[in-house]
Amino acid sequence: MTSRERNGIQYIRQEDADYPGKLTAYSGMPKGIYVRGKLPAEERPSVAIVGARRSDSYGNETARRFARELAGAGVQIISGMAWGIDGMAHEGALEAGGDTYAVLGCGVDICYPAGHRDLYEKLLRCGGILSEQPPGMPPKAGHFPARNRIISGLSDLVLVVEAREKSGSLITADFALEQGKDVFAVPGRVGDALSQGCINLIKQGAGVADSPGVILEALGIDEKKNRGKNGEPEKFLLAKEENIVYSWIRLQPVTLEELVKKTELPVRKVMQILVSLELKGCIREIQKNDYVRTD
Amino acid sequence: MFSTILSAAVVGIEAYPVQVEADICDGLPQFCMVGDLSSEVREAADRVRTALRNTKFALPPKRITVNLSPAHIRKEGTGFDLPIAAALLTALGIIPEESVQDVLIVGEIGLNGKVRSVNGVLQTVMLAKELGCRVCLVPVANVGEGSVIRDIMVVGVENLQELLECLLSFETCKKRARIPEEWKEKRRMHTEDFREINGQEAVRRAAEIAAAGMHNFLMLGSPGAGKSMIARRLPTILPELTLEESLEISRVYSACGLLAGEEGLVKTRPFRAPHHTVSANALAGGGRRVKPGEISLATRGVLFLDELPEFSKSALEVLRQPMEEGQVTISRTSGTYVFPAHFQLTAAMNPCKCGFYPDRERCRCLPGEISQYLHRISGPLLDRIDICAETSRVEYRELTSLVENESSAAVRVRVEAAQRIQKKRYQGTGWQFNSQLPSSAIRRFCPLGNAETEVMEAAFEKMDLSARAYHKIIKVARTIADLEGSKRICREHLLEAIGYRSLDRKFWGR
Repeated sequence: MTSRERNGIQYIRQEDADYPGKLTAYSGMPKGIYVRGKLPAEERPSVAIVGARRSDSYGNETARRFARELAGAGVQIISGMAWGIDGMAHEGALEAGGDTYAVLGCGVDICYPAGHRDLYEKLLRCGGILSEQPPGMPPKAGHFPARNRIISGLSDLVLVVEAREKSGSLITADFALEQGKDVFAVPGRVGDALSQGCINLIKQGAGVADSPGVILEALGIDEKKNRGKNGEPEKFLLAKEENIVYSWIRLQPVTLEELVKKTELPVRKVMQILVSLELKGCIREIQKNDYVRTD
Repeated sequence: MFSTILSAAVVGIEAYPVQVEADICDGLPQFCMVGDLSSEVREAADRVRTALRNTKFALPPKRITVNLSPAHIRKEGTGFDLPIAAALLTALGIIPEESVQDVLIVGEIGLNGKVRSVNGVLQTVMLAKELGCRVCLVPVANVGEGSVIRDIMVVGVENLQELLECLLSFETCKKRARIPEEWKEKRRMHTEDFREINGQEAVRRAAEIAAAGMHNFLMLGSPGAGKSMIARRLPTILPELTLEESLEISRVYSACGLLAGEEGLVKTRPFRAPHHTVSANALAGGGRRVKPGEISLATRGVLFLDELPEFSKSALEVLRQPMEEGQVTISRTSGTYVFPAHFQLTAAMNPCKCGFYPDRERCRCLPGEISQYLHRISGPLLDRIDICAETSRVEYRELTSLVENESSAAVRVRVEAAQRIQKKRYQGTGWQFNSQLPSSAIRRFCPLGNAETEVMEAAFEKMDLSARAYHKIIKVARTIADLEGSKRICREHLLEAIGYRSLDRKFWGR
């Protein structure tokens, strides 16, 4: 057994049967791909979710939610395992118990960024790590635009969640257009630097993704048929005061202090309610004393 | 002729008796000092000789030997000048031998005979009393701290002349003795007040809980949000010092020379805020001449570490043991020193290097940098912090608000009530506060009912708590319940404690 095989790294060449069929349609694709784990299944729909590395919690939560719902409907999620949107997309898919795949700009045996070690391990179990680069190759700036063509190549459409005006994820969108695939963007707030890239894409004709349902529809997946996995969105049973606090929490984070001011409840009561809501799964604490809705 | 005077040496914060012996006999004129002396003690020879001459007592051209015994303790400091002068005057027959029986003398002398202050007078006088002395002669600048000890006459002398007068006439001594002040329970004199903090409800509440149970406390927030301001006001919501606590603090302060010129014992809880460039020695105590560090100067008070991640790892490491034991032990070849360190730790930090996370418009940090920032704090230190709260940006409206904020006095009433409950609960055990409970004792003192156990189980799962975090939350909930006067820990108390739980490493940068 070669050391490669011992590490569970396969090398799939273009002429092999296992080589992703979706890639063969385009020129300029790699002669061979290294894989740890599995390859995305050809017959199932795949969506690439990409976006800014220095994303904010709005982008993070949106990426996570979209990935969760899409994966819950059986869609495979493909991304780059980078900080920010990529990582959140993988997490969302894993939360729904779905399969998710990452294409790296370095060897498949290297976890880049190092802080995503846990995620990397999970991806090995619930999907796969792919790369054009040989094992041991460290990440280099030049590799990343190139790997984006593989991300877009493997998917049926590309979703950009958050991007600044000059973002690497726009390169992925460009590849998608070259490959004749649909690009969707999540609109943000006007004036937000992190939404400018997405807004520009929309101006150029990208689809507006204001809910996962839009993506599912574009893929031709009947939402209702797959409701079984997700079920009806939980109607949280909230007491009156809990509702008051909950109503002030959005996808944009709000601090404990702000909630105390807005609800005019004593701080200890607000704190009790927030923790209770968190335990019920209605909200999440993304940063000390900073809260967002979970759906 | 031979004479001996009782004096004392201060080693660490303890005072040890030292006999100053002087002998004057025929022989080649010489002034020789023996007894394991450091250089400033040796210099006493010249100081004393000149001072005596300037006070019109010239030393005869004879062989003079001064011994400071016991010879195995290293003598340091300048406090032996005065007893050496007294010993010489006695050896010369100017002071009768009976006059210096049961008298303890310490002090430094200037060349003109003026007496200067020395360190450690408080413990010196305590030692004198233990040894059965009638009188203690100390520099006048130190008489304030010395005179708090009852049942011993403490006289402050300003110069050699006065020393002589006191030793020659007991009546003069009695007249000059300082009357000790009564220890009044309510002696607080703070200049700061909680009233001055606008907004920041969450942190105020967290500070109150921290004070009530003496929990270690971390504040998180952007620069300028008021973290230092709140930390400074923490001592104002802690209960008044008891006489015992004041003595503990005063001994440390006296040994560092910080009580000179003050009237009597320390009356307010200490607040120490070392800069983040502080060394491990300065923080914990030590150095070549072993002196108490910041943590001992903060005993029974607050130690505030601003910009926690900027402190060196080695400096933070030395905090661990004292935080467990309430004292710091420093071992040297010359001996082992034990200093008290019952401090409450308060710390502040920014959420990331630039300080503005999670505001993505202003935060320029890469996600990797953010989690790295938290990792700079030692894990074991974070483990000992029970409460964490975020300070929020103060809006202009709040800053200029005319709303009456709660004063320190009002908060203190609640804190004192909670501490009284804890005192009663832990009577007979070695603990005083909820924060000191080890995990083994939690079941006994903080039992949970069914509904409460459910909450903790849900939290354990959902928030991925460690065992340590679990126990900390229960202790904090116990304090919250005490603040409400509730015997039982209820669901609400646990919920609030969970909300204020300390940081988890994983928490960051997502």
